Amino acid sequence: MKEELAAIVLEVESTAPGIARRADFEAFKATISGPNGKLTAVMKGMKNVPKEDKPAMGQLINQAKQQVEAYYAETLERIEATELAAKLGPAIDPTLPSPDIGPGSLHPLTQTRRRMEEAFRKVGFTVAEGPEVETEWFCFDALNTPEDHPARDAQDTLFMPADAAIENVSKRGDERYILRSHTSTVQIRTMLKEKPPLRIISPGRVFRRDTTDATHSANFHQMEGLYVDKNVTIVDLKAILDYFVAEIFGKGSEVRLRPSFFPFTEPSFELDMKTPNLGKLSNQWIELGGCGMVDPNVFKSVGYDPQEWSGYAFGMGIERIAMIVHGIDDIRYFYQNDLRFLQQFA
Amino acid sequence: MKISLTWLKHYVDLDGITTEQLVETLPMIGLEVEGVESTALPQFEKLVVGEVLSREQHPNADRLGVCMVDVGAEEPQQIVCGASNYKVGDRIPVALPGCKLPGDFKIKKSKLRGVPSNGMMCSAKELGMGEDHSGLLILEQRPEIGTPINDVFPGGETVIELELTANRGDCLSHIGVAREVAAAFDRELTLPKVKQHPGEGEGLISGVEVQSEACPLYTAASIKGVKIAPSPDWLREAIEAIGLRPINNVVDVTNYVLHETGQPLHAFDAAKIKGGKIIVRQAQDGEQIKTLDEVERKLTAADTVIADAERALVVAGVMGSIEAEVDDSTVDIVLESAYFRAGAVRGTTRRLNLFTDSSHRFSRDVDPAGVDFAARRCIDLILQVAGGTVVGKTITMGEAPRADRTIEITPDYVRRVCGFKVEDEAIAAAFTRLGFKVDSNAYQWRVLVPSFRPEVDRPIDLVEEFIRLHGSAQIPSASVKAVGLSREDDPLAVFNRKAVEKLAGAAFAECSHYTLVDGKELATWFGQDRADVLQLDNPLTSEMSHLRPSLIPGLLDALRLNFNKGNAPARLCETGRVFRSVDGKVSELASVGFVMVVDDGQRRWREREQPDFYTAKQIVGELAALAGVKPEKLEYALLEGEPLWQPDHAAHASCWKKTGYKAFAGMVNVSALKVWDIDSMVIAGELILDPSLLAKERKPVRLEKFSNFPPSTKDLALIVDADTPAESVRSQIAKAAAEATGEGFSADGVSVFDQYAGEGLPEGKKSLGFAIRFRAADRTLKDKEVNQAFDQIQAAIKEAGYEVRG
Repeated sequence: MKEELAAIVLEVESTAPGIARRADFEAFKATISGPNGKLTAVMKGMKNVPKEDKPAMGQLINQAKQQVEAYYAETLERIEATELAAKLGPAIDPTLPSPDIGPGSLHPLTQTRRRMEEAFRKVGFTVAEGPEVETEWFCFDALNTPEDHPARDAQDTLFMPADAAIENVSKRGDERYILRSHTSTVQIRTMLKEKPPLRIISPGRVFRRDTTDATHSANFHQMEGLYVDKNVTIVDLKAILDYFVAEIFGKGSEVRLRPSFFPFTEPSFELDMKTPNLGKLSNQWIELGGCGMVDPNVFKSVGYDPQEWSGYAFGMGIERIAMIVHGIDDIRYFYQNDLRFLQQFA
Repeated sequence: MKISLTWLKHYVDLDGITTEQLVETLPMIGLEVEGVESTALPQFEKLVVGEVLSREQHPNADRLGVCMVDVGAEEPQQIVCGASNYKVGDRIPVALPGCKLPGDFKIKKSKLRGVPSNGMMCSAKELGMGEDHSGLLILEQRPEIGTPINDVFPGGETVIELELTANRGDCLSHIGVAREVAAAFDRELTLPKVKQHPGEGEGLISGVEVQSEACPLYTAASIKGVKIAPSPDWLREAIEAIGLRPINNVVDVTNYVLHETGQPLHAFDAAKIKGGKIIVRQAQDGEQIKTLDEVERKLTAADTVIADAERALVVAGVMGSIEAEVDDSTVDIVLESAYFRAGAVRGTTRRLNLFTDSSHRFSRDVDPAGVDFAARRCIDLILQVAGGTVVGKTITMGEAPRADRTIEITPDYVRRVCGFKVEDEAIAAAFTRLGFKVDSNAYQWRVLVPSFRPEVDRPIDLVEEFIRLHGSAQIPSASVKAVGLSREDDPLAVFNRKAVEKLAGAAFAECSHYTLVDGKELATWFGQDRADVLQLDNPLTSEMSHLRPSLIPGLLDALRLNFNKGNAPARLCETGRVFRSVDGKVSELASVGFVMVVDDGQRRWREREQPDFYTAKQIVGELAALAGVKPEKLEYALLEGEPLWQPDHAAHASCWKKTGYKAFAGMVNVSALKVWDIDSMVIAGELILDPSLLAKERKPVRLEKFSNFPPSTKDLALIVDADTPAESVRSQIAKAAAEATGEGFSADGVSVFDQYAGEGLPEGKKSLGFAIRFRAADRTLKDKEVNQAFDQIQAAIKEAGYEVRG
């Protein structure tokens, strides 16, 4: 028996290192430790061993078993290591590029719009939305732009046919549907829906009947702001614009309000900006948009009492700001969607 | 509009004000400066007055003369000259060697056809003084020989081009601008003195009959015996300075007065007025008139004309006809000065697409009080430059439609709107400088605004005038008043933000395309009916004639462009509005769309799995979830009859009209890709939403308890027809499973894990593998109960006609 055990241990010792696959290992293990295995047979033979020899014999068997199992463990570890190595494959070349596509990117207009939105949100303005197909009343009448104003002409504004029916855009009367020429329409819809005080910005797409060139686009984007409260003053208007320009163009930027005219504000100003860190455009006045104090007639048209409420409004082109910030010289880039443009500003 | 500074100086003293100061100041009082042009001479060196002492014929050239010229030096200079308009004794500008003429033309000693020449005698054009190149500039005033030419022409003309806002019709004249300049620099405004012209005897016409509402005030004066001739220099120069072409003295005077006062005038040749009477009437529909620009124009009843007994002579406020023109044979003239309503003239000028200096001013509402002033000024000047006598009384029909008016305002109101401290006196001063009269005796001021400022009508308008004159630079800096937010961003803005964020995170590059698209292309991909209702009434171009119903075509455009540019596009996306119709009624909807190329043409050292319909379906589902729509609510069906999508390989789900959302996913039609010239196959997806869906308030999700005990899973394979949608089978199994479980435990998931067709299965059949997962809330399930339920499910499925695969 002793010899048998020694032979089994020897067999395991000599065979196990040569086993490469798990299945071979399991098969070999069965020939030793399986139900019909050699070691199992020896263990079964214990019952025939005389009582007085049992302790010594048991010790021998245990010893042999421990030895065999140590070989098993060693073999299994080796096989697992081999398997893992096969699974892992060769070492990576960390300098190879990823074959995955990407990265994704936000459009430069989205990026600029967000910067603007975030700046205004910090001082309490939230985004309002409205339809792109609008009506003359919301786009002009409510904004104090009389019937025969040049801006209302078919020369400049895109009209829907007289019989067009836009189901989810409400009309005031029987006025025509048009494509909004500014997002001030959103101010009107918001004021009709919500009660003052109000602080909103309305970023969105607007349309002009313009021939497309480097500075004109059939559609472009504006962000308009509206602040309605009691006792709002021109000083407040200047303050928000000073703040915004510093947020976008950095400290040291200056704002200039140049008297102008818009039907929906009185007084009205062009908003000019000057900043020291803008390359070629540094330290010269650049027009950013328009602004002014909300005309009392606009409040009347939405049912706010102009004796009680006052406010300011401003508007600027998102493309324009993006062009100034990034030094983009042609508005058409925004709509060509060349990836070399789209992904340049990410 | 062009403003000549020489001209401006007639009305306001510009001493001590440089052009630069003026150009900086005008925009700050609301008059935008487009540009400045100066005809002043550049500073020349070695360009002096010379006198021609002698002229000999050039020995080798017929056209050249050899002159001796006294240029104030010790010796006369020999100069070869090709001009012929001068004679010995004339004084002319001479450029001596070393002088640089405009265009970097340097004068040197040279030989012309063998004869030495020590300079050049100059034409006006060579000095940069206009276009006259016909001969030398003869200095008629005979300045001292040797005088530098800059001393001879010290001034020159500076013209400022203004771009005025629509409300400032009052500034469409030199006097109007002078008034603003006077106000800005606090100087006196001097108006030209005009005479009364009582007029002897009978006028040239018997009367004026005004039938048109568009003409509340019409005046006509008669001048007999004028002599039509070219204008004198001062008039010609003034007219030319602002870019007009001189015609004759009478026409030039009317133009001069228009640009001086802002009031358009019209001079009729009295001999051409048939019937001896002027009639202001509406045109007849279709009535024709050949205007001065020699274009035959068709009028409508909305247009007003000035007519005689037989025909229209003038399109009122816009342009005269060629037939009633004042020409060289004119002797007697009738001078019209009138007020036509702004809206009427604007309508006509736009209808005819004929924009004139006259219509521009009438469209911006001329000053009714200026009608008489301009007429008298014009008569004064006609008499001065063309002679003649005024006959008869000026005929005046109607009256001024508006006059000066008084606005009541308190200085406190001005301060309240402005938000900063300012003295009463400063407020009053701004008004006074603008020519308004301020009665500040009471707390409530009374401000008299003259009729030339029709748009200043309310207290707030006076605040604007104040801040304009006081200076916006005086507005003090302050901090922003910010209080806590009580309002959230519009849900559509929030959705778009999240959607594009998600897509950018999944390697999509965000694009932006025009909302307007080509109608023909639209009809090709979406059908003529859908295209028809999306058409604009007045598109500018046929490429931008319709509203877009989808973002996908734009994204395909971008794919094409990027393939063409070698940019290897892979994934593009966009958010934006689209327009969809049902029964001819259009709705404006929000959309998020994306495209993925199956093969971007890039070679890679390791291949990656390519996107397919299911990739798009997954992305659309995730986008739907952002809109509060559970992805499993998107019940897809194959798309049929949509030319943009590949049959059998694209699907749609839901209907925006019913649920507020609609989804598309799948392969773009391969034939469409051919049209787009895209070689790769393209997988696309689009989720369309009615913005009102997003506005719905979303309740917070409540916790649903889940079991802590392990599940037990059973697989079921069914053989079904190849075109059976897997979901139709799955939902039946789920239903059977729900019925088979119930008490104590449930089937908490039935999912498809396998689809197989081919060997071992009959033609036209496929096998679907489903995993049914059972779980109990309170215990580990026993095999027996699971098997029992599974048997029941199989029985139910078999009963429903499905074949269970062995």
